[in-house]
Amino acid sequence: MATRDTKDLVAGIGRRDLLKAGAALGTAGAVGMPHIAEAQRGGGGRIVFANGSAYDTMDPHATFDVGRVAYRLNCYDGLMRWVDNPPKLEPWLAESYTASEDGKTYTFKLRQGVTFHDGAPLTSEDVVYSMERILAVKKGAYPLFAPLVAPGSTKALDRHTVQFNLTTPSAIFAATTHDIYVVNSALLKRNERDGDWGQAFIGRNDAGSGSYIIRRFDPARGFLAQRFDKHFLGPAGIAEIDFRYVAEVNSRVLGLIRGDFQGTDPYMPQDQIVRLQADANLNVMEAESTRLFYSCIHNQRAPMNDINFRKALCHAFDYDGWINNILGGSVVRNTGVVPNPMWGAPKDLPGYTYDIDKAKWYLARVQAPMREIVVAGMIGYEQSIQAASLLQNGLTRAGIPSRLLNEPWPVVSNKMRDPEQMYDLLFLWRSTYYADPHNWAGELLHTNRHRGGNASYYANPEVDRLLNEALATPDQAKRAPLYEQVARISSEDAAAIFIHNTKWYGPFRKNVSGVRFCPIGDGQEMRWLSIT
Amino acid sequence: MVWFVPTLLGLLAIVFFISHVIPADPAAFAAGENASAATIAEMRQRLGLDQPLHIQFLRYVQSIFTGDMGRSIYTGRPVSEDLLSRLPATLELTLVTVVVATLVGVPLGVVAALKRNSWIDHALRLVTIAGLAIASFWFAILLQLFFSMQLGITPLTGRVEGWGPEPITGFYVIDSLINWDMETLLDAFHHMVLPVATLALPAAATIVRFTRAGVLNALESSYVLYETAMGYPRWQIVWKYVLRNALIGTVTQIGLIFGILLAGAVVVEAVFDWPGLGLFAVNSILNSDYNAVMGFTLVAGTMFIVVNLVVDILQGLIDPRETR
Amino acid sequence: MRQVLRKLAEDRASMFGLALILVVVLAAILAPILSTHPADVAEFHTGIRLSPPNPDNWLGTDRMGSDIYSRLLFGARITLTIAVVAILVAVLIGVPIGLVAGYYEGLGSDLLMRGSDVFLAVPQIVLAIAIAQTLGPSIENVILALSVTYWPFWARLVYAETRSCKKETFVEAAIALGCSPFRVMVLHILPSISSSIIVRTTIGMGGTILTAATLGFLGLGPPPPTPEWGRTIAESREYLPMAWWYAAFPGLAIFIVVMGFNLLGDGLRDVLDPRLRRASRGR
Repeated sequence: MATRDTKDLVAGIGRRDLLKAGAALGTAGAVGMPHIAEAQRGGGGRIVFANGSAYDTMDPHATFDVGRVAYRLNCYDGLMRWVDNPPKLEPWLAESYTASEDGKTYTFKLRQGVTFHDGAPLTSEDVVYSMERILAVKKGAYPLFAPLVAPGSTKALDRHTVQFNLTTPSAIFAATTHDIYVVNSALLKRNERDGDWGQAFIGRNDAGSGSYIIRRFDPARGFLAQRFDKHFLGPAGIAEIDFRYVAEVNSRVLGLIRGDFQGTDPYMPQDQIVRLQADANLNVMEAESTRLFYSCIHNQRAPMNDINFRKALCHAFDYDGWINNILGGSVVRNTGVVPNPMWGAPKDLPGYTYDIDKAKWYLARVQAPMREIVVAGMIGYEQSIQAASLLQNGLTRAGIPSRLLNEPWPVVSNKMRDPEQMYDLLFLWRSTYYADPHNWAGELLHTNRHRGGNASYYANPEVDRLLNEALATPDQAKRAPLYEQVARISSEDAAAIFIHNTKWYGPFRKNVSGVRFCPIGDGQEMRWLSIT
Repeated sequence: MVWFVPTLLGLLAIVFFISHVIPADPAAFAAGENASAATIAEMRQRLGLDQPLHIQFLRYVQSIFTGDMGRSIYTGRPVSEDLLSRLPATLELTLVTVVVATLVGVPLGVVAALKRNSWIDHALRLVTIAGLAIASFWFAILLQLFFSMQLGITPLTGRVEGWGPEPITGFYVIDSLINWDMETLLDAFHHMVLPVATLALPAAATIVRFTRAGVLNALESSYVLYETAMGYPRWQIVWKYVLRNALIGTVTQIGLIFGILLAGAVVVEAVFDWPGLGLFAVNSILNSDYNAVMGFTLVAGTMFIVVNLVVDILQGLIDPRETR
Repeated sequence: MRQVLRKLAEDRASMFGLALILVVVLAAILAPILSTHPADVAEFHTGIRLSPPNPDNWLGTDRMGSDIYSRLLFGARITLTIAVVAILVAVLIGVPIGLVAGYYEGLGSDLLMRGSDVFLAVPQIVLAIAIAQTLGPSIENVILALSVTYWPFWARLVYAETRSCKKETFVEAAIALGCSPFRVMVLHILPSISSSIIVRTTIGMGGTILTAATLGFLGLGPPPPTPEWGRTIAESREYLPMAWWYAAFPGLAIFIVVMGFNLLGDGLRDVLDPRLRRASRGR
């Protein structure tokens, strides 16, 4: 099997970045990218970050959502890591990788001299164990790897070389290795109970190599972590990070204004963000993110299997009222499946407008008998509930009977995976897990993602063909038009209601500096920060 | 007292009925929302749901008595462990509230009785009825709005700023005393002000009403009338006989008060983000964490039954005449 | 009876309570007429969301721009429906059980009462939460959860009253005359204990409304856009302290109606049931 340097095989990650990775390989040094290496050394202080989602576990392979990303990002390291905005894929535990010509074999070269928090060296065996663990535990990032990596197929070639043997070619595999968080296999094996892959242990304890060491964890309070001075990039800027679970929006806002917290997540009504912006002691950072808000439409159930009905739905949502009034103009309309700032998003896609007359026009062309449509929102995510209500309002005006159903995420995610149980419509976000149009177009529209990300159960052979081609094409310039075409077709098909692309808001106290926002991880990587 | 065990079994039966009989498919419920068909089938067998109901019930009772309430679907930990770790927070809040409500309620009740039909009595009647008519979650939010958001003199939520003392007993007041950490102690009390005020309102209202009734009863009793006729000073009679009897009456109502507090704790903890049993229950509801909700019901019910048992015993000790 | 009514009419607090109840009942019945924006039960006007009280929206608007005043009026319908139906069901279950258990003494009636004691041994809201959680959020399920948890109050009360009533001469006479047990229970015992039932029911209304609102607040009530009061308060929390009206008025509405029932119940107890007033029992 021929392997080539990454210089030749540019995955879907932006050519320049990989060239850098290749360059790093060329220097053969154990140091990462220059601007990563310039970490602030030995700073003091402590940051208290108020988080709206509860940390119910410290297992890096058990969660995948952005709400609980902090412990994964700060206490564990992945093979590669996405940093900054627009996101760049940087070598992390791996100093370089190569991909075979057929796109099925990826070989990662690990950094030398990386140790876990307990002093044990991090080797290729740990990477293999972590990969197997993800596949065995079947949580968190499992859906990302399950179709590509078979259990037992990952090999440790030597102490610092790992080889992934994929079942199908993938131009984006390296982009997803951010989520292969490497755990201390020796420690976990010592603490394994009844073949649980150490789940009981790691759920509450530290077993990583990341910038911070978990010192205290309490599901009701959050976690407290202390700087790991022997991190391979050098010690982080702040000595202690304290992530508190603060459920109530008002507590987060008020705590930040008072100075009890130095930062908080931005998942709150825009009205509260405005309140934070007005405070002189706060610095509400803003960045264009890539997080798509949309509504799934169950394409395979009547009457939604009729394109006219789906178009009627798309015309029944009050986009302007939503974006300008409810969200106070804080987001941007996104007419297609790929977020606007991402390459592969067509710049001139008209999309749909709020137009009850058009909705009625399309509705008149629907053959199937009318019935009550179930519109679902997610409990705990008020925006999704509000959007569902807003759509219901439009549906009523268009003459479509509907019923709202709000259920918690665990229930929702289960139903999404079953076409029988899936709601007629469901409002949710698609965050960035890897910065590639495939993260949206591929995961949300390909038929092989039925029972996975494609909860609309959308099926179009042409779209599948284009996506397959894009996945087998290494060159970004050639891939971009393919994704643009997918976006156009899916918009014409009214595959889902594409609504807006989110902006990121980072509310911090003014004494916090160095925040590096990246859509993957939502700016919660703390090692870059310093505090005065 | 004889009925303690049957009542407990009855409680188990109710929870068993809710969790095993009402749902269309209890196995799917128990396996959690994310479960696959295979997991559900496995769960059905493991839970013995293919067995007749009475066998199921016996097994259920057996598992509860060995402390097994199943695993929380959301946290993945045993429900009993989660509940136990949150018990001290709720108990601390409840006990402080009982003390505060008693200190406020008993004197007011005595005053209302002694000044029967005066404007004070009428005002107190109105206030106590209002105290029982106000939705505690709404009252809590109003307190937050005014004292935390407008004036900024009380913490909005939480039990203590930061991580709190290393848990020894789990009671922050006791733990910070053990560590002689006055700052934390004050902070803990500071955080208690609003939740305790919210919880104490209906509790104090109830105590006022009972104390008033108790004092009136005592005042009209034959021995007080006799003592009065004998010419003892009124304050002495009130102090010696009436108060004592009224207090006994109040003690007997602590079981009832405790029920009010336990029910109140569910919403008050939710509003104040108080990491106790109530907040755990509310989060479990939001997450459709079925085992956790049932575990909470069981524990809350048991606590209530135990407190009433203790009150019965106490009552027997204080006042042997009234032994039931 | 007339004497009772006159006594009640003299009690200003009771009359005030009755007035509060009437106001809420009228508001519920006349909601379509009284409301300024009746369509706002389901309609949104995102352009004017979170407006403070103003001439057009008397109590301000909510997060979707719907008129809070109009929604409160329609919310009264939901609240009263839940409370009335739930109490009715609880009475219909509890009273017969109490009657039968009180009339026939024996192991069977002992078991019945012990059974209802078990329900009383758990705080009502806790049990209601467990049931509502199992059944899923809807008006019907809230009603069911409340009736199931509240019936033992009536069973207990009627049981005790029936037992003491059985010793009364007129009942003994009726039995001696060969009246059927059913006849004795319904025609002789029930009328004489009805005052206690009325008192208990009036006070129970207040408690039931509070519990129903709490279920709504916890997200176990009817789903949006139903203008349920408890849910509205829960919704408002994310918009505090800016939109104070959003939280303040629904809570006030709950307070008014519960206060009404409690005042009336308190007065009724004083007038109808002097024994209860003395006894320190009764929740």
